[in-house]
Amino acid sequence: MVSLNAVLLISFLLFSIGIIGVLIRRNALVILMCVELMLNAANLNFIAFARHSGSVSGQAFALLVMGFAAAEVAVGLALVVALYRKRDTVQVDDINLLKG
Amino acid sequence: MEHLLETIGRNMFAIFGVMALCGAAFMVASKSAVHSVLGFLFAMLCIAGCFLSLDAEFLGMAQILVYAGGIVVLFLFVVMLVELSKFKEKTVFQLQSRYAVVAVLLGAVAFIGVFRKVIFGTASTEALVLRPELAQGLNVAQQNAQAVSRGLFADYLLPFEILSVILLVALVGAVVLAKTERV
Repeated sequence: MVSLNAVLLISFLLFSIGIIGVLIRRNALVILMCVELMLNAANLNFIAFARHSGSVSGQAFALLVMGFAAAEVAVGLALVVALYRKRDTVQVDDINLLKG
Repeated sequence: MEHLLETIGRNMFAIFGVMALCGAAFMVASKSAVHSVLGFLFAMLCIAGCFLSLDAEFLGMAQILVYAGGIVVLFLFVVMLVELSKFKEKTVFQLQSRYAVVAVLLGAVAFIGVFRKVIFGTASTEALVLRPELAQGLNVAQQNAQAVSRGLFADYLLPFEILSVILLVALVGAVVLAKTERV
């Protein structure tokens, strides 16, 4: 049997790793992956609470979140490819065109 | 031996969770983008195992299909496409990573401060089981796909349809963004 707190702790740690990755990595691809990881941590919480409350709403929403994540990845990777064509880099430090 | 197997079976979620954490840490820490993608793949598979051990069979399978089958392949394609070895990464991490780590540690301390009672309190040993009056007529554990489909197509039909529109927009947007300039 799984206690709810174990799920919450694991999902919190996964989310933290995702945030750390977004904050400290410079590669746009790795940043996208970390965003995916954070969405998955949220999904884990959805499923745990669905199990806890005995309704399937959480699982249905987790499925919806999965679809959103797929859409986000498609657009994000298209942006990365377009950026690479234009600027020849995927390092976020080199993309400072909007800097004042 | 039997005892060991039983212990492993009871702690399946924790095992998969720790493995997912290891995969995620490897993803963040590794220098090469291909290694990052492999760590990401490992973490996603372990999270699918977590879903399975939480009795969400349909979502676990969907996780494997969507992430391991679709998103990771997409990531690998782009990693190959942008040819990361061409430009040397001066440093892998941001310059202000020290502040970021400090901020995250502060967040963790705040989290533990807020949820201290919950984590270390009396309720923390309570097992995650269905309340029988809620499980009746729903039977989540036995007919998971059926229950999820009822939730998806009866209760949350409108979000589901909106999601399909969003997927269409993302499809068109990705094609427009990634196509070459010449027409």
